[in-house]
Amino acid sequence: MKRSRFLLGSLTGLTVAARADSLFGAALAQPALTELPGSADDRVFVVVNLQGGNDGLNTIVPYASQSYYQARPTIGIAPGDVLQINEKIGFNPALRSLKDMFSRGDVALVQGAGYPKPDHSHFRSTEIWQTAAPDRYLSTGWLGRYLDGAKLTQSNLFNAVALAQVLPEALVSRTIDVPAIGAVQTYRLASDRAPGERSAFASLASDAGVPFASPYLGAVAQIEDHAQRGSEELPGLIAGYTTNAAYPATPLGRSLALAAQIIGSRLGTRILYVQHGSFDTHAAQKGTQDRLLGELSDALKAFYDDLAEHGNDKRTLTMTFSEFGRRVAENASAGTDHGEASPMFLVGGGIKGGVYGEHPSLDDLDNGDVRFTVDFRSVYATVIERWLGRPSADIVLGEFGTLPFLG
Amino acid sequence: MNAPTSFRPAGPLPAAPLAPYTGAWNAKLAAHLLRRAGFGGSPADVARLAALSMNDAVDSLIHFPAVDLPAQPTLPDDRNELQGGDATQAGRERRMAARRAANIAMSTWWLQRMLKTPAPLQEKMTLFWHGHFTTAEGAKGVLAQDVVNQNTLYRTNALGNIRDLTQAVSRDPAMLKYLDNARSQKAHPNENYARELMELFTLGIGNYTEQDVRESARAFTGWTVRRPFRGGGFFEYAAQHDDGQKTFLGRTGNLDGNDIVSIIFEQPAASKWFARKLLSYFVYDDPEPELIDAVAAALVKNDFETAPVLSMLLRSNVFYSARTYRALVKSPVEFVVGSYQLYGIDTVDLPTLGVLNRMGQTLFHPPSVKGWDGGIAWLNSQTVLTRENFASTLMASQQMMSAQSWLSAGVPANARAAVDKLVGTILYGDASEAGMAQVQAYLDGTGTSALGTFSPENFEERMRGGAYLTMAMPAYQLS
Repeated sequence: MKRSRFLLGSLTGLTVAARADSLFGAALAQPALTELPGSADDRVFVVVNLQGGNDGLNTIVPYASQSYYQARPTIGIAPGDVLQINEKIGFNPALRSLKDMFSRGDVALVQGAGYPKPDHSHFRSTEIWQTAAPDRYLSTGWLGRYLDGAKLTQSNLFNAVALAQVLPEALVSRTIDVPAIGAVQTYRLASDRAPGERSAFASLASDAGVPFASPYLGAVAQIEDHAQRGSEELPGLIAGYTTNAAYPATPLGRSLALAAQIIGSRLGTRILYVQHGSFDTHAAQKGTQDRLLGELSDALKAFYDDLAEHGNDKRTLTMTFSEFGRRVAENASAGTDHGEASPMFLVGGGIKGGVYGEHPSLDDLDNGDVRFTVDFRSVYATVIERWLGRPSADIVLGEFGTLPFLG
Repeated sequence: MNAPTSFRPAGPLPAAPLAPYTGAWNAKLAAHLLRRAGFGGSPADVARLAALSMNDAVDSLIHFPAVDLPAQPTLPDDRNELQGGDATQAGRERRMAARRAANIAMSTWWLQRMLKTPAPLQEKMTLFWHGHFTTAEGAKGVLAQDVVNQNTLYRTNALGNIRDLTQAVSRDPAMLKYLDNARSQKAHPNENYARELMELFTLGIGNYTEQDVRESARAFTGWTVRRPFRGGGFFEYAAQHDDGQKTFLGRTGNLDGNDIVSIIFEQPAASKWFARKLLSYFVYDDPEPELIDAVAAALVKNDFETAPVLSMLLRSNVFYSARTYRALVKSPVEFVVGSYQLYGIDTVDLPTLGVLNRMGQTLFHPPSVKGWDGGIAWLNSQTVLTRENFASTLMASQQMMSAQSWLSAGVPANARAAVDKLVGTILYGDASEAGMAQVQAYLDGTGTSALGTFSPENFEERMRGGAYLTMAMPAYQLS
């Protein structure tokens, strides 16, 4: 991990004793993280959120099923177009790059991921996947709970990074302030209209020597400090990283390029979160979904080319998820409405490639939707236990078993 | 961050916490009152309350005058777009455009109302109910006009009876759609509203059973919306109402929705639930159980009327104690509306809506049925940068130095006088000596060769920079 240069520089000015103890004292006392390739401390987990509800049946196509073509006379993908995995299922042709990675054994496909009593609201179902709690309302996310117990260097500003405008609930933690970075260009303080303002600002915002007591004073000072130092330092910390990978010129391409840059700059980042969408294809689904899947597939390929170029592919595991799949039958406008289960992909990290879980039956539906065959919490538990090296029960809030896609 | 799990202030409760406060009354406490019972107000608003007695100041907020502001926004007539008949791509795009226009209109209208109202506590409580009995526009067929009507319901009952409001919410078209009761059928009762009514709105988990959820869902069957995409209202559909025997929280009979709400408000858990929520909104987070019990008892004694209970809280020893002062994090709406009031800006523009969204609070779009978590959840690296950048943009505006602005009135004799004016007006003095020295050094150009000393020539530029720095101090994040 690069020692951030501002850490020592900011020990001047109004930095108060209490803050110096909690933040800087601890940081200075800690040795740099060891960087043994492949060791648990070196591993990175990347989440790709497919927002809006990705239609699973046109992602992994059950091309041998008559019921599929009956339910989807307009948007069904013809058997000849499917990139076959076996005699029953195959990839959407837009997923060519992903299929190539799958054929090399670098992709695990988890079929039919979902949860009991599925909720069809984007808001609620997203919240369920983010908190890993289908039956209650929580204020922390599943990755936030992982971060809380992960013995991370508290002073590191980039233990986890969301490449998003707003912090996703999955990363809400009690102990780690996770920066949400829309783009490096906007993750910064827009001040400094006049010289001198900036330097005064830095110490003022985290001044705890005020003439009142507030239970929030320490937290405000610390977050202000993180925000300012983080936004000031990040561009410099990731400068100098170059790649030959050809990313698509799309928001997801830019996000994954930045993710690879952060991983390659070795800031001690364990979790990265990126978003892609919108997959909410109620009408004219084919054009939209194929474009989005193609972007996903090409961006993931470029991401792993980039990671491999710098020797980071084996220490980086990527997982996709969407809040729900879509209705089996197409609607009158060549689209599909909110459904239930959908597939997940896990890529890289020396994963055991292949197909996991049963493809949901098209002949035993839950009010028009495919029933889930794999509880998504078992996928989370597998990642937590076998990739991040922690017991999962307190994070996914129960025992859901694991899948054998990680060794 | 090393966030503690509780943000209850340190130290013991003051003696007789709910007894009337009889100590000194000054501008600092008047500003505290106006931050909590409103959005902060202008310096003139604070001065007006400070000139009254504490009792008269609270009375003026509770017994507010009639408000001469538009009762509802003018929404684009998007009824045809929203019926869902046109399912083509073009139809969907027109519907999205209509929704966007409606959201801009209604968010701007409400923020303008918060900004200009002579009854700030009414708007503050409307926002409280919006975050409590949540409904989101656009979800599950909830139309813009539905949430506007719901907003009017909350405003009309802002300081009214909580049981009556809960009865009305149970028949509110926006809520009936949002929590699925509109589609609940006798043969297949939908449990969503019945469950959230108890879990999030009135009692909390542990105060009812799954059987109570199922039985109350039966009682609410048939409570639906007539012509839901054409502005139809509440409709009691007798054929879909289950009029069999139900047993709910120990009571048996042919219960309907009204009975369910009445029985809920007989539970001790209900008064505690609202006591805790009101204390967390107006006083401080994680209030002591004995304080919750005392406010709960007051709610019961006043038959769940809000006005007398708020009246007591806003006059109480605990409300004016040091442990309550600056003990809450400003919500994005408080931060933005309060800043506008501070500088006398009276128009909400489109970028302001984007700023609120990036700070994590979009009106009419609470993130989930449990509303905004508030407190520490408002603050993270990105939202804090957004707050600072909002302050920076605000201070870049020429409007700041208009003739009416306190900021431009009278050139202070020297940098120290300027600091006193900035910290006095923006923070009511809540800055450290070191912090004030830092702002003074900035104003004076100390240690920076590029900045000349403070003078009438650079007064305007320097005062704006100084105001921005003052808004960067921790007190400005806190209410």
